[in-house]
Amino acid sequence: MGFLAPWFLVGALAVALPLWLHLLRQYKRTPQPFSSLMFFERRMQSSVKHRRLRYLVLLALRLALLLLLALAFAQPFVNRQSKTAGRRTLHVIAVDRSFSMRAGDHMRRAKEQASRAIDALPATALGEVLGVDAHVESLTQAGLQQAALKTAVNAIQANDRASSFGEFVRALRYLAQTSGMRLDVDFFSDMQQSSMPGDFHELQTGPEVALRLHCIGREGSNWAVENVLAPAEVDAAAPTRVTATIAGWNTPAASRRVALRLDGRMLAEKEVAVPANGRAPVEFTGFEVPYGWHRGEIRIEPDDGLPQDDAFGFAIEHAEARKVLLLYASRNRAGSLYYRTALETGTHGTLTVQAAPVEDASLRDFSRFAFVVLSDPGELDSGLADALCSYVEKGGGVLIALGPNTARTGRIPLSKEQFSEQREKQAAGYVDKAHPALAAAGQFENVQFSETASFTPKADARVLAKFADDSPLLVEERAGEGRKLIFASTIDNSTNDFVLHPAFVPFIAQTARYLARMEDKSSSAVVGTPVALRRRSNQGSADVIGPDGKHELTLSEASRALSFNLDRSGFYEIIQADGQRILLSAHADRRESDLRPVSAETLELWRNTGDTSGRNETPGVQIEERPWSLWRWILGVALAAALIESVFASRYLREERQTV
Amino acid sequence: MTTSAVPNRFLDPAILAEVSSMELVAKTVVDGFVAGLHRSPDFGFSQEFAEYRAYTPGDDLRHVDWNVFARTERAYLKRYRGETNTAIHVLLDTSASMGFGAGAVKKVSYAKFLASAIVYLAHVQRDSASLIVFHEELANFVPPSARPGQLMRLLHAIDRAELGKKTNYEQPLFELQQFLKRRGITVLISDFFDKPEAIIRTVEPLRFRGNEVILFHLLDPQEIEPALGEAPLLIDMETGEALETSPDYARSEYRPKMAAHIQDLRQRAEAAGLDYFLLRTDRPLDGALREYFSVRQGRM
Repeated sequence: MGFLAPWFLVGALAVALPLWLHLLRQYKRTPQPFSSLMFFERRMQSSVKHRRLRYLVLLALRLALLLLLALAFAQPFVNRQSKTAGRRTLHVIAVDRSFSMRAGDHMRRAKEQASRAIDALPATALGEVLGVDAHVESLTQAGLQQAALKTAVNAIQANDRASSFGEFVRALRYLAQTSGMRLDVDFFSDMQQSSMPGDFHELQTGPEVALRLHCIGREGSNWAVENVLAPAEVDAAAPTRVTATIAGWNTPAASRRVALRLDGRMLAEKEVAVPANGRAPVEFTGFEVPYGWHRGEIRIEPDDGLPQDDAFGFAIEHAEARKVLLLYASRNRAGSLYYRTALETGTHGTLTVQAAPVEDASLRDFSRFAFVVLSDPGELDSGLADALCSYVEKGGGVLIALGPNTARTGRIPLSKEQFSEQREKQAAGYVDKAHPALAAAGQFENVQFSETASFTPKADARVLAKFADDSPLLVEERAGEGRKLIFASTIDNSTNDFVLHPAFVPFIAQTARYLARMEDKSSSAVVGTPVALRRRSNQGSADVIGPDGKHELTLSEASRALSFNLDRSGFYEIIQADGQRILLSAHADRRESDLRPVSAETLELWRNTGDTSGRNETPGVQIEERPWSLWRWILGVALAAALIESVFASRYLREERQTV
Repeated sequence: MTTSAVPNRFLDPAILAEVSSMELVAKTVVDGFVAGLHRSPDFGFSQEFAEYRAYTPGDDLRHVDWNVFARTERAYLKRYRGETNTAIHVLLDTSASMGFGAGAVKKVSYAKFLASAIVYLAHVQRDSASLIVFHEELANFVPPSARPGQLMRLLHAIDRAELGKKTNYEQPLFELQQFLKRRGITVLISDFFDKPEAIIRTVEPLRFRGNEVILFHLLDPQEIEPALGEAPLLIDMETGEALETSPDYARSEYRPKMAAHIQDLRQRAEAAGLDYFLLRTDRPLDGALREYFSVRQGRM
């Protein structure tokens, strides 16, 4: 017998209440006149005797009622043996089709063994074929036709996804639960160690699954380009540098030739010594990247048993400089000078500044700018303010520097919040270096601010930097899908000496990268990674051109899909809904390159988590132990006890009234 | 108190208690009692010829009918029911304990019914009757008389009798002895909550002058077989003394003591030549009278 909710048994302590009422109730003597006491003797009743159980039946019923209620809520059950028709057995043929199965003849041998397993099935056996990688896909319906099973097995092809044994076991448990059948599973895989879950507990298949593991893999050696670090965007001023890591698993020390190709053209080649079962870095610098997107590749030679991981692609762009619009008050041109110099220096010319007095600004479409800077602009006219707010709502970026001109309005531009000007000298205090806008900006050491803007940030705003008195120095406010940074001082030397300190240029460059979303760009991604196609406000059409040059999206997906999963290796050309064009290289998860299999002992432990009793082909009468819930019966008895208790209680009450 | 087992022709004491007129009560009781006898309404305490009985050695020779002996040469004893008027003295105990009554009828009420019935019976027989109401002292005394109006005086005195405190048998009996000039019948109605030897010792002198003494021992069923509630604190109705006892004691020890007391009193009364009769207040009064006179008749 067990309990589904044993904590409810604590409720049985409520029996103390009727016990108290019956046993501990204050004893009261009742004076009773009598004709003569000549035959009576004094008999002192002890307190214990006074407290004797009164109305034992009533007490017993009340105790039983409370105990039964507590018991019913605890949901007791007993395991009952019941004869049931034997559960049918579903024979599952599962084949690993992850990236590692591309190695050598792994997939061919897996298919052959799976076919033989299908041939060995009885004619009346019910079978199903599963394809296993990071997900589990049912490749056939559960059926009796072995030919269909073999066809499905033969059609399995290795893909570029990683395998996950934990996901495989979860799928088996779900299949056993939903089908109501006992599963007899043959799993054909290279049994990579890297596919094992972190917790062995996730491999428990349960009593309804009999698992047989067929290890296809061998202790094969494999070299691979494990990783490539390449900038997604380059400029003419800075040298281009690409770093790759060459790794070997179960390999001897050897020399590998590493080649850098750009758009199929060999740019450089190096010989690198890879230690036994180790890694070696290799770096390529000094090559020129023409304007536009390019498909780069690092490849090692000669090929080995798994040639697909001997190359690692990356996308790289040499784009024209993007413009940043800087709006300033006409009487204060110095801000634009300092900012322009710092930005173009810090971003190596990938961003250029287009400055204009705010009074002359007739622009209403800011989408062609990387972001907008409001350098102590004073009061904005409502049309400009609305246009800027709309720009930020749709994903644009804006940096607002507050100074004396704006202080006259008393309001932060593009916001309804008020601020005041403080004329006390302040030093910078806390700086949130974990934020991407300040990652390389330093600590603003020795920077002095003579005039500052004092305001209270919004509740959902994030304070990225503070003055020494803990008032905000740099605040990020979310506005729709855009980014808005509020700097509580100017970006010139009129109210601070920030421009004279080394932290100024990195600060301007880093905040510019953040506002222009340059840090979001990546040169490569692992297969299975989702790529954003649009922001929610974008209504345009997106497009994805796959590695084979075909469009990957349907018309419906092109107009509605928010993201796209990179499902195989190669270069993807992605045109986002806002018109931005991205080239991205997808590569297989390099954990798949480690072909070392799981030890036999671990596989045996895994197999033993399921049913190890052997096959049960013929359905017949089986005796099963099933939990049988008792709470309904107990509740019924409790109800009966309550009824009897009420009858007894009313009777006793009537007797007491008559006595009185 | 239960009356369901009693035949309907007997009068329920609870019904009598609802009758305000003591005369009506007495008449109802006696008429019912007499009707049940199927005998002459003149039957009573007066002495008249009843029958002859063969002489047996040891019989008093004074009772031998010598005329019959002369005619038949056989000795017969002449037995009498009574032929002369006699005096009936009713002693009514109204101590505080007589106020006890667990049922519809208190002991003192039942005693009043009984006393009324007796004096009414005496009136019908044209006997003289007297009444002494007593508790720890003499509460009321109606001298014996057979004149018209005596019955009403007696019934009025019975009706007015009120409860007193303790019981003292010596004082009323001393008073009574002052008026006992000739033989009569003394009826003592009490609950006799005293030591039997003391009671008999006090009452016994009345028997010495040829008086016939009848003790009506009046008890409530609760006094014979008490059923006490939980944790009782008993208050003595005469002394006011409080006593904590237990229901277990009432069941296991009190009842044997009370039974022994009744048995002791009965034996001592009979040994002293006193008629003793136990009356329970849950029994019909006329039925009790019938039973008593049946016993009394059988004894004559």
